[in-house]
Amino acid sequence: MGKVNNNVPLEYSTEENNLKIFGFWVFLGAEIMLFGTLFASYFTLSGRTGNGPTGAEIFEITPVLLETFILLASSFTIGLAIHAMRLGSKKATMSFMIITLLLGAAFLSVEIYEFMHYAHIGAGITVSAFTSILLTTLGTHGLHVTFGLLWGTFLVIQIAKRGLTSVTAGKTFIFSLYWHFLDVVWIFIFSFVYLKGMM
Amino acid sequence: MAKFFPLGQVMGFIFSLVLTGIAMLVYFTDMSFTTGMIVLLVTAFIQAGLQFIVFMHAGETEDKWSIYSNIFYGLGLVIMTVLGTLLILLWDM
Repeated sequence: MGKVNNNVPLEYSTEENNLKIFGFWVFLGAEIMLFGTLFASYFTLSGRTGNGPTGAEIFEITPVLLETFILLASSFTIGLAIHAMRLGSKKATMSFMIITLLLGAAFLSVEIYEFMHYAHIGAGITVSAFTSILLTTLGTHGLHVTFGLLWGTFLVIQIAKRGLTSVTAGKTFIFSLYWHFLDVVWIFIFSFVYLKGMM
Repeated sequence: MAKFFPLGQVMGFIFSLVLTGIAMLVYFTDMSFTTGMIVLLVTAFIQAGLQFIVFMHAGETEDKWSIYSNIFYGLGLVIMTVLGTLLILLWDM
C-alpha cells in the first residue's frame, strides 16, 4: 500500500489509489468511444425502419422523463455520498449510496417496463435495423446500470463491515465516477435518441 | 444536516435540471429541426461538462491535465467517428 498522505481526502491518500483512480479515467475514455460507435450506428440506422414502427411512433415522453430525472437525482446523491465520505461520516456516506442504488433500481424498473412495452407493441429487437440498434444502444446503457447496482451493493456491504479506509474510500470514489459517467451517457441518449426522435 | 449538502453540488444539480428543462422545450414547443438540434447539442455538452467538473472532480488533482487530455482524446475520436459515419453513410458526400 505504500505511504499514506493525510493531507488529502482518503481516496487519494495512497499512491496505489491515485493510480487506480487515474486508470479508471482511462477506462472511461474507452467507454466514451464504445458509446460513440453505438451512437454512430444509431444515427445511420435510425431511418431504416422497414415494415416496423419509427421512433416517433413508439417513444413515450412520460417514462423517458421519469428515467431522466431519476438518473439525474441519483447522480446528485452519489456526489453527496463522496462529499459525506470526505467529511468522514460513514453513516451519511452509506445512506446516500443506498438512496443512489434505490434510484438506480427505479430507473431500471422503468427501463424494463419500456422494453416490455416495445416488445408488446411490435417493436422487438428483430423487427428492423432501427429497433435492433435502438435496443442495443439502450440495452448497453441498461446493462452498465445493472452492473453498477451489483457493484454498489457489494461496496455498501464492504463499507458497513470495514468502515471508511483508504481502500474502501478509493473504491467508492471510483464507483462514483462510473455512476456519474452513466448519467452523462443517458443525457446523450435522452437528447439524441428520444428528444430528436420525437421532435 | 446542511453540511451534507454543499452549495456547489446543489447548484450543479439545479443547473442540470434547468438544462434538462431547456432540452425538453424541443419536444413541448414547435421548433425547426435545425434549431432543435442546436439546442440539444448545446445543452447536452454543457450537462456533460458539468458532470465531469462539478460531480466527478476531474480537475482537483495533479493528474488533471492527464485526465482532461484523456477525455478530449476520447471525445475527439468519437466526433471523428460519428461525423465520418454521418458524412459517408447518411449525407452521401
